[in-house]
Amino acid sequence: MASKPISSGRGGDGRIAFLLLVVPLGLLAATLIVPMVSAITISLRDIRVIGSDGPFAGLDNYARVLGDGTFWHALGISVVWVVGNAVVQTILALTAALVLNEKFPGVRVARVWIILTWIIPTVVVVIIWRWLLSPSGGMVNPLLIQLGIIDRPMGFFASGPAAMTSLILINSWRWFPFVAIMLLAGLQRIPNDIYEAAAVDGAGAIARFRAITWPLLQPTLLVLTVMGTLLSFNVFDIIWLLTAGGPAGGTETLPVLIYETAFKAYRMGDAAAMSVVASVLMIGLALVLLDRLAPKETAR
Amino acid sequence: MRFKGHALAGALALTVFGALPALAVTDVKIWHMEQPPHRVQRVQELIDAFNAANPDIKVSQEPQSWGEVYAKVPAAMAAGNAPDILFAIPDFTTVIRKAGQLDSVADFVKELDAQHHFIPATVEPYSYDGGVWAVPLYNMSLNFWYHKKMFADAGIAVPTTWSEWKAAAEKLSKDGVVGVGLPANKQLYTDQTTYAVMVNNGASELFNADGTLRFDNPKTVESYAFYKDLYKFSSPDAANWTWGEAEACFASETCASILQFSVISTYDQQGGGDAADLGVAAVPHADGEKNSSTIAYSNAAIILAKDAAKRDAAKKFIAFLLEPENYGKFLNMEPGLFLPVTTDGAKSETFWSDPLVVKYKPQVEQMIANSHAGMLFGFTGGHVFPAIGPISAQNILAETLQKVVISGEDPAAAVKAGQAQMIEATK
Repeated sequence: MASKPISSGRGGDGRIAFLLLVVPLGLLAATLIVPMVSAITISLRDIRVIGSDGPFAGLDNYARVLGDGTFWHALGISVVWVVGNAVVQTILALTAALVLNEKFPGVRVARVWIILTWIIPTVVVVIIWRWLLSPSGGMVNPLLIQLGIIDRPMGFFASGPAAMTSLILINSWRWFPFVAIMLLAGLQRIPNDIYEAAAVDGAGAIARFRAITWPLLQPTLLVLTVMGTLLSFNVFDIIWLLTAGGPAGGTETLPVLIYETAFKAYRMGDAAAMSVVASVLMIGLALVLLDRLAPKETAR
Repeated sequence: MRFKGHALAGALALTVFGALPALAVTDVKIWHMEQPPHRVQRVQELIDAFNAANPDIKVSQEPQSWGEVYAKVPAAMAAGNAPDILFAIPDFTTVIRKAGQLDSVADFVKELDAQHHFIPATVEPYSYDGGVWAVPLYNMSLNFWYHKKMFADAGIAVPTTWSEWKAAAEKLSKDGVVGVGLPANKQLYTDQTTYAVMVNNGASELFNADGTLRFDNPKTVESYAFYKDLYKFSSPDAANWTWGEAEACFASETCASILQFSVISTYDQQGGGDAADLGVAAVPHADGEKNSSTIAYSNAAIILAKDAAKRDAAKKFIAFLLEPENYGKFLNMEPGLFLPVTTDGAKSETFWSDPLVVKYKPQVEQMIANSHAGMLFGFTGGHVFPAIGPISAQNILAETLQKVVISGEDPAAAVKAGQAQMIEATK
């Protein structure tokens, strides 16, 4: 006897699908659309302190923000931050995933061990790295001096470039395991017989990587690139806790600038205008990435 | 039969007491920025004592960070979730006053003054626009702290002028030791050290008497240029420092000297605690100046509560703190850092009998002496300039310093840009 289907008619399926969609769509509306509409509304008014009111300003806030070098400087810093993280995390994660895809004693432990940095709370990561990198009492400076790389303690957050490099490395250290696990899942979906056939044809390890691994990892890499770009762009906590955008604005990404404008300069209208512009940029970038990086249908 | 009688009596008692109205308790929430655990603990001890003596009031504390509080309080006020008592400093009070409707506490301060006699300079920064906006609680002043032995070994006398200070910093900077720990973070601590240098070069006034800005002047430029010279002998990570990092540097003897309000507690716990080796002096002054000055200001309590019962309860708690017996304990939540704002508090037995105060009595007396020559940006020359609020909130003094010492900008150009930024901030 055949088992009875969960829903016997198209109408029933449609109703269930509708009900299942209503809840997430309602939540999306509440948590995404409402704040966005609110941000757009605030961006059109000259509101200073949060919670206060202000006169209608039209597009004045947008004109002021876009005409101010600070916004473009922060956008430039954000680009450096996103690209730096993408490059470093991809290299680290791909290397780790390729190693973890091999069979060696302890590989199971290694696969669990690697995610530890990812599950540590941001505040703890910040405390660990501030202590490690401190010129007075930290462990990294004495190590570098002993190795002869530097001759005196250096400040890892003493200048804009140094602070940005340190931040990218720390953030990558934290997040590359997540990317590595995703890539590992992608690697394990590649059928082994393709590698065996290539080996029979005399393909070496590099040739197998270029002809098989890299192309077949593209869908996973696409998802990670889009997700990583959006997530990296919006990172606030680790930057704020380690450098607060300093020194001298050297790590002041757009989210940090928006926070400072809203809550330190008390210019909610300007901050909202920046947020709207940033959202438009991110949506545009995500669409471009999806279009450019998505595998194209081969013409028949 | 006997059991039955007891049961009846018990039931009767339950009925009677159950029928009594529950004692109404007024909750009072305090936000302060004294985050170190031992300070939180001391405040809690005082709260517990107060709550025990006043069962109709329940005071609780929620420590906050100076880094976030400028953002958090206006947001909390807008959300209707503000504390009932907020600890503040003068410039922060101007921000809070602008963000919400504050009620003057002039009458309450007058009442407290009659009992405890406030030092007038501690009330002045909170008195303007026809009201008094906060109750002074404790005073602080920035000092020059140094390791006596390091200076003696190097054959250096305690500097009193800028040229002596620079020479000392240079001579002491060797073998992994930095001559002077100075911050360059875009944060309140750097605002304070920068201003401490400025006031020692006759650049204490940020405003003209009419309220226009006069930050951009040759004395300020000279002060920033000198800070840049001195910063070469600071720690490589000083661009990220707040007060704690400076104290740690001093306690670990990596810094031969620092500018700090007090180091006594950390020095005693982490720096060996040799009272004879701990030196404190006035911040050195420019060679053309005659006397040293410093940044000093009183911290105070703002009553944000609107509800009459909560306001009364908040006043009762503040009055409790200022009672000499409690006040000494309160000030000694960080012995040596917090100085009295009342005449009877300055004589409080509980203040002077604290073991750390006894041990470091000469240092504490020197700090009190230094505080007499203290000033605060935006509250100088007998004027109060509420426009200082947004300038301080955005740390423009510190941001200008970063341009000079980190980005290598010309001090004159950076100060000019700083003034333009201040004008924009106060629009």
